Amino acid sequence: MSLNRRHILMGAAAGTATLYAPAVIGQAKPRVVVVGGGPGGATAAKYVARDSQGAINVTLVEPGASFTTCFHSNLYLGGYKTFEEITHSYDELTKKYAINHARKTAAFIDRETKTVNLDDSSTLSYDKLVIAPGIDLKYDSVPGWGREHETAMPHAWKAGPQTQLLKKRLMEVPDGGVIVMIAPPNPYRCPPGPYERVSMMAHVLKATGRTRCKIIVLDPKETYSKQGLFQAGWEQHYPGMVEWLGPKIHDGIKSVDPRTNTVETGFETYKNVALVNVIPAQMAGRIAHEAKLADPGGFCPIDPVNMKSRHDPNIFVIGDACIPGDMPKSAFAANSQGKVAANAIRHELTGSRLFPAKYTNTCWSLIQTDDAVKVGGAYEPKDGKISATETYVSKPGEDAAARKQTQAENLGWYAGIVTDMFS
Amino acid sequence: MRNGGGNVFRIAAGLVSGLLAASALANAPASALGKGDRELGEYLSSMCVACHQLSGRVSGGIPAIVAWPDDQFVAVIQSYKDGTRDNETMRTISHRLSQDEIEALAAYFGSLPAPKTP
Repeated sequence: MSLNRRHILMGAAAGTATLYAPAVIGQAKPRVVVVGGGPGGATAAKYVARDSQGAINVTLVEPGASFTTCFHSNLYLGGYKTFEEITHSYDELTKKYAINHARKTAAFIDRETKTVNLDDSSTLSYDKLVIAPGIDLKYDSVPGWGREHETAMPHAWKAGPQTQLLKKRLMEVPDGGVIVMIAPPNPYRCPPGPYERVSMMAHVLKATGRTRCKIIVLDPKETYSKQGLFQAGWEQHYPGMVEWLGPKIHDGIKSVDPRTNTVETGFETYKNVALVNVIPAQMAGRIAHEAKLADPGGFCPIDPVNMKSRHDPNIFVIGDACIPGDMPKSAFAANSQGKVAANAIRHELTGSRLFPAKYTNTCWSLIQTDDAVKVGGAYEPKDGKISATETYVSKPGEDAAARKQTQAENLGWYAGIVTDMFS
Repeated sequence: MRNGGGNVFRIAAGLVSGLLAASALANAPASALGKGDRELGEYLSSMCVACHQLSGRVSGGIPAIVAWPDDQFVAVIQSYKDGTRDNETMRTISHRLSQDEIEALAAYFGSLPAPKTP
């Protein structure tokens, strides 16, 4: 790391900082490393760096120069947003708050020596580590489908080229074509996401005159998020175009064949499917498993008071990789968890005031133009987990004005939260 | 004091003086800062700024909440709490806030500058 103006500035502040840094008197400036620049990681990096005002050296390990959000990627699919509008550079975040951006992939974590080894064989030492790797897909969870088939049958559950591929494939579906979505089992990223995606697919098909198309959802779950709201919306806006089948009806996915675009269930075999969208089972990102921070269920247990790993007091796990109690795996939740972790980290490293954890979440979903619904809640540590203190969901049969207002909120929230994360 | 608090977000300009200003805020009793505990308000504001922008920029259906008089801020949150105003998200947020926390938020957001172009 070369010496530059930022480091000189940070050095100038260090003498003052140590007055308020009981944990590091006589030592170099404390170091926080954040692995992963998604909603959780970007937020944690920003809040530690911004609020410690140079007293903590923050490094964000993230190979990308920009981040494409999974949230609102369905609005890209539906034609409401461009790909550029859901893609955000790290430049402002890293420059404004003097965050060192290591454009590398974290290869592994050595918990004994408190170092993160990067894919170029360099290492970063940390006093506190934030792990926010998001999800990895379980490529062996759908019989016949694997990593090598994600072009033939895209998942589009990590935003980027897969998202663009899914949209391209959707535009190629002929009128009368069948789309099959294989929905994921719990727990997974963005509980209403698959069903908002179905809505946006139907919206595009209808808007382009392809109303003889059918979208079949093969779901391993008996129920899903906002189920009544989505199903009422599909009946209202897309009659006859969406068919949702639970496991009692389809009797399980027996196999898929990416060469022939065939999906076989215990109930029916779908041949010559125009588009198969496989959203597989999920687990915490690889690095969390290799650092032995995950439980057998695939995700990482945390202390709900501060988001600290149950397995290591110097590591915080936030976002989709953690076990969030009653919270869903959402960008809003990751952002909220990042702030709680940042407050706890600053307290431990600099002696700043420690405030009680308060978590919030809202997930908006667009069903059709100006028809949006939401689900959300407030959460606090209780009974050893993040517990809901109050939750809400949009009411069935709301008037059009309320749904339009909810979509206006949705758009305003996006502008607000990406500002909060990336600038 | 309000101007000093604004330095919290200007790291590049006057890093050391910003640090001192923030430290002074942290060490001062809440009563000296006005009715609400501004530092608590700054922490709690992290709940709000997932939607409401600190710059006061209005986007979509999310209004600006900066630079309001403290009393007005408290009254608006109370109106969600008692059901006079009805928005599920704001109702849920308001229910979790104590009077001290509402006043802390009012002190913090009230200390932020209004946007130059509304």
